[in-house]
Amino acid sequence: MKKSLQSIALIIVLATSVIACSKSDTTTVLPVTAVTVRDIPADTVVGLSSQGMPITNGIYTFYSLEKNALVPNTDSASTKWDIAFMSTRILTNGGTSGVGLGGAFVYTGLFDDLKTISTDSVFKTDNAPTSYAITTGSGKGWYTYDQLTSLITPLAGRVLVIRTASGKYAKMEITCYYKGGTTLPASATDMDKLTKQRYYTFRYAYQPNGTKTF
Amino acid sequence: MQGDTVVVTANRTERKLSNVTVPVNIINAKQLQQTGSLRLTDILKEQPGLTISSGFGAGVQLQGLNPDYTIILINGEPLVGRTAGVLDLNRIALGNIKKIEIVKGPSSSLYGSEAMAGVINIITDATTAIPLQASLRYGTYQTLDAGINNSIATKSIFYQGFYNYYSTNGYSIRPNSSSRVTTPIDRFTTNQQFKVNLSDNTNLALGLRLTDEKIQNDISVSNGGTTITSNGKEHNTDQNFNLTLNHRFSNSLKTSFRGYSTEYNSKQDLVTVTGSPYYDLLNHLFQRIENQTDWSINKQLNLQIGAGSVWEGVKSTRYDSEKVRKNNSIQYGFTQLEWDANKKLIVIGGLRFDKNEAYASAFSPKISALYKLTTKQKIRFSIGEGFKAPDFRQIYLDFTNAAAGGYSVFGTAQAQQVIGQLQTMGQIGALYDNYYQLKALKPEYSTGMHLSWDYEPTVNSLLSVQVFRNDISNLIQVQQVGAYITGAQIFSYLNIGRAFTQGVEIEAKQKIAKNLIVSGGYQYLETGDKDQIAHIKAGTVYTRDANGYSRLLTLSDYVGLPNNSKHKAQLKLSYYKTNGFFANVRALYRSQWAVNNTNGNEVYDNGDEFAKGYVSVSSSVGKDYKNGFSVQVGCDNISNYIDASNLPNLPGRTYFATIKYQISKK
Repeated sequence: MKKSLQSIALIIVLATSVIACSKSDTTTVLPVTAVTVRDIPADTVVGLSSQGMPITNGIYTFYSLEKNALVPNTDSASTKWDIAFMSTRILTNGGTSGVGLGGAFVYTGLFDDLKTISTDSVFKTDNAPTSYAITTGSGKGWYTYDQLTSLITPLAGRVLVIRTASGKYAKMEITCYYKGGTTLPASATDMDKLTKQRYYTFRYAYQPNGTKTF
Repeated sequence: MQGDTVVVTANRTERKLSNVTVPVNIINAKQLQQTGSLRLTDILKEQPGLTISSGFGAGVQLQGLNPDYTIILINGEPLVGRTAGVLDLNRIALGNIKKIEIVKGPSSSLYGSEAMAGVINIITDATTAIPLQASLRYGTYQTLDAGINNSIATKSIFYQGFYNYYSTNGYSIRPNSSSRVTTPIDRFTTNQQFKVNLSDNTNLALGLRLTDEKIQNDISVSNGGTTITSNGKEHNTDQNFNLTLNHRFSNSLKTSFRGYSTEYNSKQDLVTVTGSPYYDLLNHLFQRIENQTDWSINKQLNLQIGAGSVWEGVKSTRYDSEKVRKNNSIQYGFTQLEWDANKKLIVIGGLRFDKNEAYASAFSPKISALYKLTTKQKIRFSIGEGFKAPDFRQIYLDFTNAAAGGYSVFGTAQAQQVIGQLQTMGQIGALYDNYYQLKALKPEYSTGMHLSWDYEPTVNSLLSVQVFRNDISNLIQVQQVGAYITGAQIFSYLNIGRAFTQGVEIEAKQKIAKNLIVSGGYQYLETGDKDQIAHIKAGTVYTRDANGYSRLLTLSDYVGLPNNSKHKAQLKLSYYKTNGFFANVRALYRSQWAVNNTNGNEVYDNGDEFAKGYVSVSSSVGKDYKNGFSVQVGCDNISNYIDASNLPNLPGRTYFATIKYQISKK
């Protein structure tokens, strides 16, 4: 009880300092800057079975947008992570996926043009296994899958609008699903298509002040 | 002179080339021989406006339209047995061919479905006066071609028998790959033709053609990166039988009854390395009876009336049951009126109505005109409607690819029923809006316009310029309509697309020195999907910049339909001497074409993956001796251009030598 009182006090102190800060600074709202994150593995292929089927570890890679850092899997039941990747599936820390306030939706348009999340936007939360905040499936969420070339390509003009575990907002554009940040050509070998996939390159902007403006 | 050549395809009756109102290209037997062409693809790829496509065999794209839209005829009768819309032209041996006629522009008013981009008619002739001809050719990749052609001609009976055996060991142009791009093939073709003159005015013709091919087919299927190799055997047979009775009532009235039956049977047995067997069967039966009557009403008016009935059926393991034949029957009638207004002007109007049992009927009108500016200059104009009926696969396909991720494709007649069943079994994860729009397919329609100017100052020089435009609507496109709970996709077919192709074709020929002729062709082609263009204009299509960041796509980024090159050109130098010596060099150029959508939108644009433009040069030298022997050696693709992914039908440099013996009728 004593501890929680302390933390409430701390929150009040912090909050007033933020208000104070913004009061003195009303003319210059600092724009959030976009950062690029490269080659985040998402349950990559570690080998082939005797039948030639790909073998993976079947685990998610957790990421904190707030800290711009990977989060260990042991913290999967915490609010330390905001998004998690496993092959083409992306989780947000909320709903059936996590204990946080996370959610998301897919915005059609350009990253730079998304300056404010409109008030009527609806954030979805994960409801595994039937639906996810970031819609799964080729052409439905953030990527397309080409049956002929077996290649995954992020859809152009899609921005993932994410509510983080702590209820703040971020926008994110995935640019590549292959190691090195370049989608493989159709003529790449099957082995390359197998082992170089499941590496995310994306840019994102995180708004730490809790507003919906970037 | 070219203008005196008689052509049959343009008007469905014999006309001098100089009097036909639509653009026609002719490839004669001599050209076939001198280029050393073995299969139909070899010669078609050297023709202006034609491109050979790969995937499901070698098909021909005509003025930017896919292989589905060109009807292939042998002596006026259609060939069947298309895989994914493509008729493999390698099936067709060239040994006994008299000529090939290529008509560009919609000709559905005469030939019905599939004659949307044009018509390619391969003409053999029982009355060719060559008692015996034998040829043997051998070349790279152990490619052997042996043919015998013998004919008997009396005053009233004509017979021609043609036998051809072709075999190749195939080739692999991918380094370190066991799978061959062209597989080992053994192919036998025979063609038997009889013609009997029953009286001065009546003749009866009978034709039989059989192709039997066995293909050793070791294929690799990729599933999300995993490769499963299978050892397979493919056996294809193609049989055609036709019987024609021609009768001339008078100089101004003649009629012909034609009966035709053709059956294509394709069987594939595959055994994968992991032991799972795979079996694939396609059987297409097509039977037709038809009457055509030509009446010269007077010196200015010629009338043609025809009617017929088609019965057609397909059995396939890719349908719900390979034992049940899916049928369609068509009744059709057509008429054409030719008006020779004066010495300068000919106008032809025609129309055809096809009543289909399995899908909507089609009405195809066409009007065309020829105006002779001078004896050396002609202008031709034509506008017509073409159509392509939905094919059996688009209606009846019931296919799930267990090897590649478990996706399914259902034809429109099956889709709602099968998906409904799957849904009650709890296997469907999602159904999209367009699932509810599935309904009986309509034919695809096109309107084609051609305007050409021909200038033929001398026998050995020619200049021809042609402008064309095709507008296609109701395009049948495969669309994802839902997904399994596993996420695997479910596809079906919808009439949704609108597209166009337009361009310019130039052909020229000039004798530049004694015994030396240079000829060439060039095609400029633009294509586009009209709905995609509308979306780009509306600002809802995105692409990626060099950093991989999205940006709006502009019309200047858009490249149109895939697999189409903007520029295509060919150049030929032909040298000949009166002693029978001949030599030629042929160059073929094709500019880059879009092959894969790689930058995250549904349209093809400058940021996508292109096949590189290329030049391929071929040459052959030979001599025809007076004693009937002729010899020839040649080299194809001298520059050794290879693009295994995008041009699997183009092997590297290959050589061949041919020896031929011919007894000519005195």
